[in-house]
Amino acid sequence: MRSARLIAFVSLAALGSWGYAAHAAEQQSQAHPGYSAATLYNLGNSYARSGQPALAVLNYERARVLAPLDPDIQANLRQVRESSGLPAESGSWLSRHSRIANPDTLYWLGVLGLGVAGASLLARRLTKVPPSSSHGVFAARGVVGSRDVNSGRGDLGTRRFFGARRVLGAVAALGFVAVALAVWDSAATASLLTQSVVMHPSPASASPIQGAEPLFTVPPAEVVSVRDEHAEFALIRDSQDREGWVARGNLTPIIPEAPTSIIPDAPRSVIPAAPR
Amino acid sequence: MHISQSKRWQWTTRRRVTTPWQWVAAAALGTLLAPVAFSEPQVTERIEPDKITLGEAAQLTIAASGTDTPAITPPMVAGLEFVAVGQSQQVESINGVTHSSTTIIYQVIPRQAGVFTIPGMTAGTQPLVLTVSPGGGRNAAPSGGSALSGGSGSGGAPNAGSGTPLPPGSTRVAADGSAFVRLRIAKHELYVGEAIPVDIQVGTRDGVVASLNGPPVLNGDAFTLEKLSSQPDRSQQIIDGKPFTVFTWHSALAAVKPGALSLTMETPLTVRIRQAMRPGGGLFGNAGLDDIFNDPAFQNFFGASTEKEITVASPPTEFTVLELPVRDRPADFSGAVGHFTVSSELSDDKAAAGDPITLRLHVSGSGNFDRVNTRMLHDVEHWKTYAPTAKFQPDDEIGYHGEKTFEQPIIATDPGTQSVPPLEFSWFDPVTGHYAQARTSPLTVAITPAAPDNAPAQATAPSGTPPVTAPAVTASATASAGASGTPQGDALRPDHVERGRGSDTLMPHYYQPAYVALPSALLIAFSGAWFWVRRGEQRARDTAAGRRGETSLQAEPHLETMEKASVLGDAALFFRSARTALQKHLASKWRLAPDRISLDEVDARLGTGSVVARVFQLADEAAYSGLTLSAADFQRWQQLIRRQLSEHEAHS
Repeated sequence: MRSARLIAFVSLAALGSWGYAAHAAEQQSQAHPGYSAATLYNLGNSYARSGQPALAVLNYERARVLAPLDPDIQANLRQVRESSGLPAESGSWLSRHSRIANPDTLYWLGVLGLGVAGASLLARRLTKVPPSSSHGVFAARGVVGSRDVNSGRGDLGTRRFFGARRVLGAVAALGFVAVALAVWDSAATASLLTQSVVMHPSPASASPIQGAEPLFTVPPAEVVSVRDEHAEFALIRDSQDREGWVARGNLTPIIPEAPTSIIPDAPRSVIPAAPR
Repeated sequence: MHISQSKRWQWTTRRRVTTPWQWVAAAALGTLLAPVAFSEPQVTERIEPDKITLGEAAQLTIAASGTDTPAITPPMVAGLEFVAVGQSQQVESINGVTHSSTTIIYQVIPRQAGVFTIPGMTAGTQPLVLTVSPGGGRNAAPSGGSALSGGSGSGGAPNAGSGTPLPPGSTRVAADGSAFVRLRIAKHELYVGEAIPVDIQVGTRDGVVASLNGPPVLNGDAFTLEKLSSQPDRSQQIIDGKPFTVFTWHSALAAVKPGALSLTMETPLTVRIRQAMRPGGGLFGNAGLDDIFNDPAFQNFFGASTEKEITVASPPTEFTVLELPVRDRPADFSGAVGHFTVSSELSDDKAAAGDPITLRLHVSGSGNFDRVNTRMLHDVEHWKTYAPTAKFQPDDEIGYHGEKTFEQPIIATDPGTQSVPPLEFSWFDPVTGHYAQARTSPLTVAITPAAPDNAPAQATAPSGTPPVTAPAVTASATASAGASGTPQGDALRPDHVERGRGSDTLMPHYYQPAYVALPSALLIAFSGAWFWVRRGEQRARDTAAGRRGETSLQAEPHLETMEKASVLGDAALFFRSARTALQKHLASKWRLAPDRISLDEVDARLGTGSVVARVFQLADEAAYSGLTLSAADFQRWQQLIRRQLSEHEAHS
């Protein structure tokens, strides 16, 4: 009976976390309709059909953020890249398949896992039989029965008690697996934050100044990672590991910053050159 | 007026007490300076360039040398302003005669066009001619890149309006005379949310302020300040007869709540405090030489000063902030306050059904562009619309003037001549005090039937379906249209059916602070609960230990009675006391009332052959059958009972 209560407690904690997650997601989707993998994929298709590969790649890449394993997105992205003369995607198999699901889904899975793991570990702790004797919420007299726990004599209550603790341990382990998945995905997603799509042919130069000698030209639809920024220039690395400064106006980030907001930007501080 | 005059005054008015060592030093100097003792003073002047346009500045250099150099004062020429920007002084002692040379550099700022004659400083100096041609403007950078502005106490205001006078008391120099902070604002009555340009000026005394330690900071929570210009303008000004380097930041100020409000700005800086020579105790005891060694340049060079960090604040600036009227407020009002004009355009006047085209709305003018916002098209028949993106192109460095362009991808779902409905934009005009609304003209576009491969796209957007708002399509949507790549349809996989609604941003939750807070809160909650449980366990252990101690205390009187009974040879009393002691002890351990610790309970828990059970049996026997024991038996039972108590205590 007590072990059933224990499992019910953990289940309620898990359901509570999941309920909060679902509620927040629902509220968000109602308040801010916007990005979805299907919409972005369809828009990418529209741009591809109208001969705008850079915008097509941009929208496919954005769709892939939300649905990393969608075969249609992968196929059309590959098709547009090939037709634009871009090389196949580089990187190891692991890096190209490091993401397995929508990051927001994994985030909530991680939160749920954290909640379940924490609740399970807490419940295990609460059912721990201290060496002294019988205290604790689910202590010996209830869960274990009327026999002396310290004597180690097993009866049905004792077996159920230790069985419940094993279940709690397994649930906690599952929770930690979910947390690990979320952490893994957050690390894999981090690289996307710096990636941009080149919108126009962009000469890349060695220094961030106007009129600098171009080292190479980055073709449109190429996905590059932005490593630094200076004034109107961005230091990019392309798929061939070449680095150079290109005009920032030619780049569009795959993951844009927050959408247009009426909240004014916070004042920023600028420290002037000290007149030493 | 300037440094050289101040030094001259010091030179002639200080009194000194001469010591023998100073006489010796003076004699040596006199010997060294003898050859140049009576050389005539020479003054040279030059101006570069001698032809400039209005808005630029020229540089006037006046050099005087000799044994008795005259004080250099700036010329007085109507229409020209002279601002000292540099000074150098050199003293040589040759055979006892002191020869000094002083050079002062002035920036010459014309206030009007024309040909100006700058008279020579001495009778023998030729006048200089400066030709100023019209042109340039207030934004024209003076030569040398130094944006000089204003004269004494009236620095220019390229942002807040050059005609804006500084009210009396707006320049309040710090008590030590090292610096000041002041604001130049065009108006003092504004509406909530209205952005007004502001110039923030920090004046630092040359040679006194070592460094600015940060930009000016706004005091108070009633206003917000837009990003300060990255590099402040720098100019030289004479204020109260002292030269100041004035740094000017341009920004925009906005009030966040109504009422009579005031604000101040402050900036941290490091000042250099000179350690002046002791009066009369200088190295040479000579006023002239001590002045040389007390010169800021000399002291800075040799480190005869200490630095101190201070904060200088501006005098309070008063504002009257009015609330935006609620009456007649348009439904689509987004908070924009200012003066705006709107226009719209399409990227193409013809397209195929299913092909995206870009609708642009240009909002230009002046005001708080961060509040300029619009939903563009939504819920329009025959069109599939997406979320617009905005791009702001400022015309000035603070973003007060400029143009905000909204771009929205739209896709026609039906062929034929389609009309894009007019777009509306509302704002509040602070001049008229009323809301204003502008509406663009409707646009038409010819839509040709879709190519076969576009069919799925249209199939997913049936007429009447709510528009799917989603992606932030890049601003260069149309710029690359048709520029590269070829339309490709057959090789593409078909469109997906759009279900439900997406999220508002592509930024994963992991990197949004609001979402990071949730797992953090969970971690904190579980850590706290874990700590609480552990604390409870510790407390329970402490309580149990205390209870055991209490039990021992309760059992002790009975053990003493037991010892007395053994001395008296009273077996009944002996075993009765022993049973009572054991009952109290086991009652505490088993959480039962002492009277419930019966022989049956003991048998059940400890077994029938235990020592405790035997004591309970003997207690009954002694009470009813008159059991007698020898002294040795008493001794042995006493040891056994005490051992039982201590063993049980150890186990518990």
